[in-house]
Amino acid sequence: MDRFILGRYINGDSLVHKLDARDKLIISMYFIVIIFLANNWQTYSLLLVVVLGCVGLSRINLGFFLKGVSAMIWLIIFTVLLQVFFTSGGTVYWHWGILTLTHYGIVRGVYVFCRFVLIIFMSTLLTLTTSPLEISDGLESLMKPLKYVKVPVYEIALMLSIALRFVPTLMDETQKIMNAQRSRGVNFGQGKLIDQIKAVIPLLIPLFVSAINRAEDLAIAMEARGYHGGEGRSKYRQQIWHLQDTLALGLFAIVTVALLFLRTW
Amino acid sequence: MSITFEKLSYTYQTGTPFEHHALQDISLTIADHSYTAIIGHTGSGKSTLLQHLNGLLKPTSGKLVVNGQMIDTKTKNKQLGDLRHEVGFVFQFPEAQLFEETVLKDISFGPKNLGKSETEALEIARQKAKLVNLPDDVLEKSPFELSGGQMRRVAIAGILAMQPNILVLDEPTAGLDPKGRIEMMEMFKQLYEKEKLTIILVTHNMNDVANYADNVIVLEQGRLLRQGVPTEIFSNPEWLNKHHLGLPQTTAFALKLQERGINLQELPLTEKKLAQKLAALLQREVK
Repeated sequence: MDRFILGRYINGDSLVHKLDARDKLIISMYFIVIIFLANNWQTYSLLLVVVLGCVGLSRINLGFFLKGVSAMIWLIIFTVLLQVFFTSGGTVYWHWGILTLTHYGIVRGVYVFCRFVLIIFMSTLLTLTTSPLEISDGLESLMKPLKYVKVPVYEIALMLSIALRFVPTLMDETQKIMNAQRSRGVNFGQGKLIDQIKAVIPLLIPLFVSAINRAEDLAIAMEARGYHGGEGRSKYRQQIWHLQDTLALGLFAIVTVALLFLRTW
Repeated sequence: MSITFEKLSYTYQTGTPFEHHALQDISLTIADHSYTAIIGHTGSGKSTLLQHLNGLLKPTSGKLVVNGQMIDTKTKNKQLGDLRHEVGFVFQFPEAQLFEETVLKDISFGPKNLGKSETEALEIARQKAKLVNLPDDVLEKSPFELSGGQMRRVAIAGILAMQPNILVLDEPTAGLDPKGRIEMMEMFKQLYEKEKLTIILVTHNMNDVANYADNVIVLEQGRLLRQGVPTEIFSNPEWLNKHHLGLPQTTAFALKLQERGINLQELPLTEKKLAQKLAALLQREVK
């Protein structure tokens, strides 16, 4: 789990940390949309500058983001190679069977690589600077309109925040049970496929049992503290939309206009 | 045959921003057939140290030798099979590791992994169930039907079924009621005395240390602070206080007596010792 940077939160008080979670959610989703507007080197370098600017503002070590990329490096390499070798058009540099290396192919490959890296940087930035609780609060408030079509928004948000809260706990638990079974002679990830699958049982059953016990305890503890459901509850964590949130949105509006201006139609 | 740590260090998540030096330069020896207690503040590296003993963690630098088998940075997982057989590891809240349909099957899981036949494994399981005082009528039950204390016994029997020479206990009595606690500690004492096991116990309970251990290791912030016999470790209350460690109740009480002018010479660790000393003092006064 050491390499698992995506989904981790680093406490800080930079400008990016202080932005409203709703704002950051909207921006990162919006960013994934506008990245498809980029189709030449000017637009990609503009986006790169914007993203690196955001990363710089967050005052988080660039190493974290590179780790996020390195976790997905095989997927990226695979896609880039597909693009590079199966795109036709432009000057042909090299040819072998169905594989062709063309000018267009190389350019497309580089673009796809940039797209991946930018998206990963942006979503890593979101999770690194926003605590899981803020994210689930933000999602709840963004999903509010869905209430009118009878979607149980509050319940979904509650489940989400409980789930997020218990991810590290369950990870610890998994590690603990794995160690315990290892000392009883189980070899995880070794031997034939069928043995490997069998080795999962002594891990999964205790994990499920403990999750069910945990759920029961939590439900009782919640009821004992007067929880009756979402109706008529007030909120402890208030989300306040500041001027800087609007400005951040404005920045991305400007970026969109610039992209539309710079892209080749 | 014993356990030797040589300049062992361990770092969690090396090379990431979350890097954490859990153990630094630990050198110590644990003699064969000794009852060692490891004490220290929360986060002092006790559990990390324990996990080295059966190869769950491998040192970042330095090495350790357990009964002749060396473990260092380069040791491969495949070489650790024998070690798991040698060292039985009872984790905190070990009842979380139960998963089989019946108690007996769960206890025999370990020996089966070691290559014992079904009948042999079940035979061992029966013996070990007796050893941890499990009543016969629970053996065919599901482990999830049992009470918390019984589940823990099943889990411990499951470890003992591996027939280890070294038994590692990470706070084995956490969350038990007083009766269960005493029973369990007495059970370990029996195993130590009758089965000649080497026992390594991590605990926050100084009474247990005073009552059972013959060797104490004190850790602080990943470093070895001190190693010695309990009387030595507990003879200096100021030092313990400075390192946020407590005294056994008896010793604390004896210290208060001493402050009121009753000279006990050296601080006793157990109730029995204290009672003997007081009796001796009274006798002298009568004469």
